[in-house]
Amino acid sequence: MSDLRFAICGLRFCPWLRHSLVLAEFFLAVNILNAATNDFFARGIDLSRAGQFPEAAAAFENAAQRQPAAGTLVNLGLAEWQRGRAGAAIVAWEQARWIDPFEPRAAANLKFARQVAQVDEPPLKWFEQESTWLPPNAWVWLAGASLWLAVGALVLPGIFRRRKAGWQQTLAALAFMVFLASLTANVGVVSRTQIGFVLKKNAPLRLTPTRAGEIISTLTAGEPARQLRARGNFLFIRTTGESGWIESEDFRRLTDD
Amino acid sequence: MRLSSLKFFLLLALAPVCLRAQAPPQIPAALQAQLQVAQAPVDVTSPVTATAVFDPPVVRVGEKTFYRVTVSATESAIQWPEEIAAPVALKFGANARGQITQFLGNNFRVFTSFIYEIRPTAAGHFTMTNFTANASGPLVEIPAASLDVVADGASPQAARQLGLEISATNVFLGQPFRVRVTLPPGPGNEIEALREIQFNGDGLMTDKTAARQSIEAVSVNGQLRPMFACEMTVTPIAAGPLKFSAQGFTAGREFSGPISIHAPVSLSGGPAKYVLLVSEPVAINVRPLPVEDELPGFTGAIGKFFRNPPQLATNRLRVGEPVALKLTFHGEGELTRFVPPATPRTRDWQIIADPPPATSFTLIPLTDDVHETPAIPFSYFDPALAKFVDLTIPPLPVTVVGESLPVQLPALDEETKSAAPVKLSAPAPAPGKTVASLKPLQRRGWFVGLQLLPVAGFLALWQWDRRRRFLEAHPEIVRRAQARRALRRKKRQLQSAFETGDAPAFVRHAADALRIAVAPHYPANPHALVGGDVLAQLADAERNGRAGETVKQVFAAADAQFAVDAKVQADWLALKSELDAVLLKLEEKL
Repeated sequence: MSDLRFAICGLRFCPWLRHSLVLAEFFLAVNILNAATNDFFARGIDLSRAGQFPEAAAAFENAAQRQPAAGTLVNLGLAEWQRGRAGAAIVAWEQARWIDPFEPRAAANLKFARQVAQVDEPPLKWFEQESTWLPPNAWVWLAGASLWLAVGALVLPGIFRRRKAGWQQTLAALAFMVFLASLTANVGVVSRTQIGFVLKKNAPLRLTPTRAGEIISTLTAGEPARQLRARGNFLFIRTTGESGWIESEDFRRLTDD
Repeated sequence: MRLSSLKFFLLLALAPVCLRAQAPPQIPAALQAQLQVAQAPVDVTSPVTATAVFDPPVVRVGEKTFYRVTVSATESAIQWPEEIAAPVALKFGANARGQITQFLGNNFRVFTSFIYEIRPTAAGHFTMTNFTANASGPLVEIPAASLDVVADGASPQAARQLGLEISATNVFLGQPFRVRVTLPPGPGNEIEALREIQFNGDGLMTDKTAARQSIEAVSVNGQLRPMFACEMTVTPIAAGPLKFSAQGFTAGREFSGPISIHAPVSLSGGPAKYVLLVSEPVAINVRPLPVEDELPGFTGAIGKFFRNPPQLATNRLRVGEPVALKLTFHGEGELTRFVPPATPRTRDWQIIADPPPATSFTLIPLTDDVHETPAIPFSYFDPALAKFVDLTIPPLPVTVVGESLPVQLPALDEETKSAAPVKLSAPAPAPGKTVASLKPLQRRGWFVGLQLLPVAGFLALWQWDRRRRFLEAHPEIVRRAQARRALRRKKRQLQSAFETGDAPAFVRHAADALRIAVAPHYPANPHALVGGDVLAQLADAERNGRAGETVKQVFAAADAQFAVDAKVQADWLALKSELDAVLLKLEEKL
């Protein structure tokens, strides 16, 4: 009891001790989260090997919901494909590539799946294509860092009464060029968040956002489209050929967790 | 003008191309054959005739007789008068009307009968005079009819009537019950059929498809006599007390549909005599269903029903593959109006109800996530228990496997080989690169807020630079600020010396404080100033007053410490209050 009182007194009068404990708790929580994620991942691998693909997909989905990871999503796509869900598999692999554009398995599987399912890649504009060269978050950090580097290189010597050196101006120019280049990529990233994929086979595309709405056409699982707006349980999407309303459960965007 | 004519003729020429006739509807072959057979026409050319009789023509006082008028026209064509002139002694009761079609060999003839129940209140000979009725144009004359009412004691023949028996008198709304209409034999025990049976009364729905005809032996006055009976199902569709009667035409040997005979029968020969008969009314009480206790899946089934365990054709399915769910219901009582369970809607199953009268379903799994068939809610109302009974079809365990998608493509030759891989990759051994969320930073509010931090930093630096430049242009502000800071520091030392009673330190710090307080006004280093410089900063009155004296004493005491034989005087500390007042005034000028 006296030890506990001593510990409480120590926490009250030693701020550094208190801060250390909070930090330790944070790292402990992160470790627990990572451990749980890894557990789900390992379980998913085991279930996949056992041929229990629905259960494996559920395990990988759990892991991905806790912490989206490229490898987890690749495996989720494989499990979904084995279950016969081409649309869900394509979404998972696209999300894996969204996290890590250099993930080779996701790219290869997407090519394979699109050949089998006879669906196209989402058509990208030039700035969206540019945004695929790096992970989405990398572009935004690059843009922020380059902008403030350019501003700093121009402004700080004046503030600190230093002579503006040539290298500083060159650095500012280069940083500003990088900023301009990354700006279009950032626009591409934002634009790509509209892209999604049809999950269900023969998903009806309707003229109006109701279940009684006239069916314009039926969409193939894995077909890409852009979500333009939402109304109730329906999403207005534009595919390569037509536009219409689809039920939200039949469509998933790249950025839907 | 010429152009308009040209357009007109061009339009005419193209008209056959644009204006196509509608495709004729496709008629089934069986129906076509039926249409091609010549049907006997309905006789509309013969003059409309009418007969009027009392049945029986002789009754006792107070006994029932029927005044029956038969017109050879359709019921809708006859504008029948609301009231008929009759002798006062004839008291009118219920009335009915009905229509029947008679086949006369080469054509049909329609007859409409009107029947009135009459009870005479006095003996005598009464005549219903002739009158006219409009039969869609021509006026038809209804002939006169006579009735003899005899005194008590005589035994004339009783009026011929239908019998009406019901299986229940206290029923629930929508609960079907059996109604039996009987026709007693005519003179000589001759059995006749009944046609065009219908019930007069509101709030009833008759199911003629479930009618059963029979001839049964019935005990009448101790004698077994054959009797024609027709059982029908009636469903009340309105709550409350209901009263209804039956009517029908005698039809000789014209039995419609199958009939079961359970008694020796003699049938009359010759053409049928179509006579409209009615029954005595019966009353029932219809109670509403306790809707507040209604269970899910109630489709209107009322009675007592049972269900065999549901049978699924197979419990191992593939996504999209239909499977039959066989349901068998049986029950006590009326099953003709049994409504099978409604098709439930679930996301994971497509459920198709088999066409009636089947009560089974076809189930199609839409996903491999399901592990059991959907429960199909169903309940019925048991009138005996007066409550709803749950008969839900329980879920059955199934194993659903997904559609098979290829994981490897067949090897292609060099010419047709594409850039796509021929098989899926192996699973990733590790989670790999992670992110906190798939939503990019560009779409997150906190990241936009983060960008304000560098902006704030640059703004702070700019503000700092501005301030610095301003102070460079106005050094007196810096000197005053520095003097204020130094004065505060010196005051603390002064207070400390006072509290410890250190008089030499007290006067030293007091002199320093006074110098610091006036230094920015010259400007000069505080150590270079003397008591006169301090006095110069005081107002004339202060300089010559107590404040000036204090300043002089402080500087004198401070200077005295540099003397060879410095003497410490304890009363130096007594200058504290005056010194504080002087310092306060000087500080206010800073």
